[in-house]
Parts: sequence; C-alpha cells; structure tokens
Amino acid sequence: MASGVTVIGRTTRVRGRLSGDGDLQVEGLVIGEIVTSGNVTIDAHGIVGANVRGRRLVVRGAVQGDLLGEEAVVLEDGARVVGDVRAPRVAIAHGALMRGLVQTGDDGSAQPPLIRAQPAAKSAAVPARVAAPAAKPNAAVAIRPAPVAKAASTVAGGAAGALRRPPPPVVPILKKTKGQVLKKKER
Amino acid sequence: MASTVIGAGIIIEGEIVTDEDVVVLGTVRGKVSAKEGVTIQQGATVEADVVGAGLVVAGTLTGNITAADRVDLQAGARVIGNVKAARVTIADGAQFKGNVDMDV
Amino acid sequence: MVTDLSACTSVARQLMAQPRTSTGGSESRIGGGARVRGRVQGEGDLVIEGHVEGDLTLRGHLTIAEGGSVSCDAIDAESVTIAGLLQGEVAASGPVQLAASARVRGNLKGSAVTIAEGARFSGRLDCDFDLPQELGGSAREARTKAPTRR
Repeated sequence: MASGVTVIGRTTRVRGRLSGDGDLQVEGLVIGEIVTSGNVTIDAHGIVGANVRGRRLVVRGAVQGDLLGEEAVVLEDGARVVGDVRAPRVAIAHGALMRGLVQTGDDGSAQPPLIRAQPAAKSAAVPARVAAPAAKPNAAVAIRPAPVAKAASTVAGGAAGALRRPPPPVVPILKKTKGQVLKKKER
Repeated sequence: MASTVIGAGIIIEGEIVTDEDVVVLGTVRGKVSAKEGVTIQQGATVEADVVGAGLVVAGTLTGNITAADRVDLQAGARVIGNVKAARVTIADGAQFKGNVDMDV
Repeated sequence: MVTDLSACTSVARQLMAQPRTSTGGSESRIGGGARVRGRVQGEGDLVIEGHVEGDLTLRGHLTIAEGGSVSCDAIDAESVTIAGLLQGEVAASGPVQLAASARVRGNLKGSAVTIAEGARFSGRLDCDFDLPQELGGSAREARTKAPTRR
C-alpha cells in the first residue's frame, strides 16, 4: 500500500516526532514535531504543540508552533494559532485567529520594497523635508543636487524605511527644488 | 473500526496513548498504549512496548506486549519481546522470540 | 495638481481629488488619479483608489481599492478592507480583510483578520484569544469550544 492517510484519533495523544510521507489528519493531541511531504489537516478537535511542515496545511484546531506549507497554509473558522505561518499561499478565514508572523510567497527572505517611491519630480521634494530628522549628513547640504541624490539612495537602499516615514505636513519648499529635480532621473 | 491509523509512510518517534484502537502500517519507535486493540500490519515496524486490550501482529515488533485479552501473532509476524496476555496464538510462519506469560 | 494636493495640510476632505465627498461622516473617496502626501483623518468611511503617503486615522471603514496604495507608519480605523497595496501598520477595533489582490507589508491588528488565498502578506497578526489548556492556555479556552464548522 502506498503512503495512505495517517489519522491521529480524537482520544489519541502523541508525544514525539511524526515524520515521513503521506497525508496526516490530526483529531487528537500531538506534542513534538510534524514533518511530512503530504498534506496535514488539524481538525477542530486537534491540538498541536509542534512545528508543522507539510505540503498543504489546513487548520481548524489549536496550534502552538510554526506552520510551514510547501504549497499553502489555510486557517479555517475555529483555528487558533500561536506561531509563524509561512507558505507561498496563505488564507485566513473569518473565525480563524492567530498571533504570529505571516509570510506569503516562496522566498521568506527580504523582499523588494512593496511600494516604489514616487517619480523623481515628487519624491525628491519629500526627502528634502525629511532630511532634517533623518540621520543622513548629505541631506543637510542646501545645494540642489543633494536632495535628489538622497532620494535616489533612499530609494535604492533602505527604501522601506524612507517610504514609511510620512513627511511632516508643513512648509512646501517644492517650488525651489522642483524645477531642478525634474532634470534628474530617479534611479 | 480504527480511529488511529499510522500510515505506511509515517514514522513516529515517541509515545502514543489512546482510548481507542490503533492500526500501524508505518513505523513506531517508542511506546504504544491503547485502551482498545492494536494491530501491527504486515510491513509495519514497531520498536516499542505495546499495551492494548488485544494485539494482532502481522509485521515486525520489537518490544514487550501487554494485553488484557488476546495476542495473535500471524504468519509473517516477527516478534522479539515478552508477551503477557490472557490468550496467545502464534500462527504457523510467525517468528517469535521471547517469554509468554498467560498467568493473568 | 499633485503638488497642490501635497502642499495642503492634513484633513481628509481637503485632500479629496473628486468633489463627490459627503460631509457628516458618510463615504469619502480618494480617486484613482490622486496622490496624497500627508496625514489623513476623518469621520466616516474612506475609499482610496489613488495613492496615499501618510498616516490614516478614521472613525469608520477604510477601503484600499485594487489599484490603490497606501504607504505610511500607521492606519487607525474601525475596520479595514484591502484589495490594493499597503505598506504600513494597521490597528483596527473591528475586522481587517485582505482580498486576493491585496499586497500588504506591515503588522495587522483587529478583532478578526481574514486573508483571501492569493493575497500577498508579510507581517504580524495579533488576535486576542487563549490556547486550550493542553497548550498552556487559560481554563477559559478549554476543549469545550464548539467548532462552528463541520
């Protein structure tokens, strides 16, 4: 028989490591670790104190541990998860609750900035005002090319950080720099 | 009717405790304790002490067996360990090494 | 036009691109072509179809439509629906929903958070609940919880 379904019944308590191939259905308690190449379903009565790794994870019960799906992780109504969830696709239905990190997509590592900075004409003006609070020395220089250079480096480098800092809603000094900036291209 | 099934491709290293019955097709290393029956299918490998209401073994078991009722070692079974049960049957073709205690 | 908008100070209604905003707490809208920079705050609901860079504080429902984007440090609203882009943190007293087209980076906090399969999300979720006793939770959330499915 090829790897069939493994069922941990409702009154069953497993303490240890579950690994291998084949689908897994947890209706009882598992404390330890779960690693399979198949799908894992933790039903409404399932209680899992373990990191779980499988192809497609469907959770309707309680989990304390990280959920890693090679394909997807789905938290359905009734799911209670404390731990991180990582999978190319993640769905969290109404009624599912969790506390932890969620990371969709194949690559869990740093991703490019989500929202690209505004085109040069507008973005240069922003860092020019943010320059004061930011710790970038060249921004303090009043010459016109400086704000653009800062904009470019901000965009290329820690763009996420710069983008997340909204400009103070104050003095528009746009008129002065805007004309100059239009000639520069945003990198 | 089994409510816990350890599938053929699965390895459990640890302890299994249940109120229901267990069917093992895969591998278990550790300990198994069931209130109902335990079935170790052909191809299964169990390296554990097993406690159950009854046991049927057609696979490989290394460990002590304690059953309230009966233990059946079927043809193809390979068991190394002591058996304590009310009744024991060892089929032709079963391999067994260990003590048998039917004094319950 | 964008420059003019960004030159304005905060309040939501002043920054709307389309005049079809209603006062008194009903729906406001930042249209598709609008780019807004600055803090946005107000009563009532807000639909963002354009691009907003700045914190949002709403006493109502926020929708970031598909094609819309928000980049900020914090969004504070009663409830939030995201079908577009968001880079920022969300704190809602009510539900937070991500549609399949959503692309979100930032932590989300709400009474309930739902994410449609296909959405891209990177961040933390923090819902308030207890695990069952077997996992160290309080007695309140013992195994008696009734599943609403099945």
